[in-house]
Amino acid sequence: MRQYETGVILAPNLSEEEIDAQIKQMEEVITSLQGNLRREERWGKRKLAYPIKKFTDGYYLFLHYESGANVPAELERRFKQSDQVLRYMTVKKETTTSLRKKKKTEKEVETEERAPEAKETEEAQAEKEVGRPEVREKGKERRKEDKEKEKEKSKEVV
Amino acid sequence: MSREEKPEKAQFRRFFPSKKKFCRFCQMNVREIDYKNVDILRRYIPERGKISPRRTTGTCSFHQRKLAQAIKRARIMALLPFIAD
Repeated sequence: MRQYETGVILAPNLSEEEIDAQIKQMEEVITSLQGNLRREERWGKRKLAYPIKKFTDGYYLFLHYESGANVPAELERRFKQSDQVLRYMTVKKETTTSLRKKKKTEKEVETEERAPEAKETEEAQAEKEVGRPEVREKGKERRKEDKEKEKEKSKEVV
Repeated sequence: MSREEKPEKAQFRRFFPSKKKFCRFCQMNVREIDYKNVDILRRYIPERGKISPRRTTGTCSFHQRKLAQAIKRARIMALLPFIAD
């Protein structure tokens, strides 16, 4: 199961009933293939940045749903066949887990593991290994201070 | 930094120090940039409709990548122009 977001541009010359029918069809496709419709955004008619199929306007619609890979495939197969859909795009939504934090924690674990081993082999190296984290912490503090300064500056500018 | 270290521009910079640019997305602590948010994306495309480079906007590399991705998606959905005249 993945999070998807499908944006659709429908032709502007459709009546409201036709638009509703189209949207109902999409919803049925999602629910029938064991998908879970989360949210539906209707922007309504909006000017296109460039003409598509000689239309200057389009009816914007965005569907947010959670499903397997078969749902977007089926939806897109239908979009390709119909003339009422001017443009469509499906975007995979990444679950937000920051890689940087993960890497950081891994590195910290490694340094902790390495430090005792070095002590056993050579004392001089061990001192260096132990000394490093302090330096790093200092660097971190400096960076933090810099960031705070920048923030203050930006506030002044604003 | 490298720009400031050049000998020719050193004096120039002494009299006219450049304003420090910063990434506005980092400041707001944004992780993802949505392609539907056209008002924000418009700030990063000048008249011609091109994506403005990092050296003019000061965006960090992480957010520049996200921005470029979002702008390209918005272009496909006809929210932004490929070329504006």
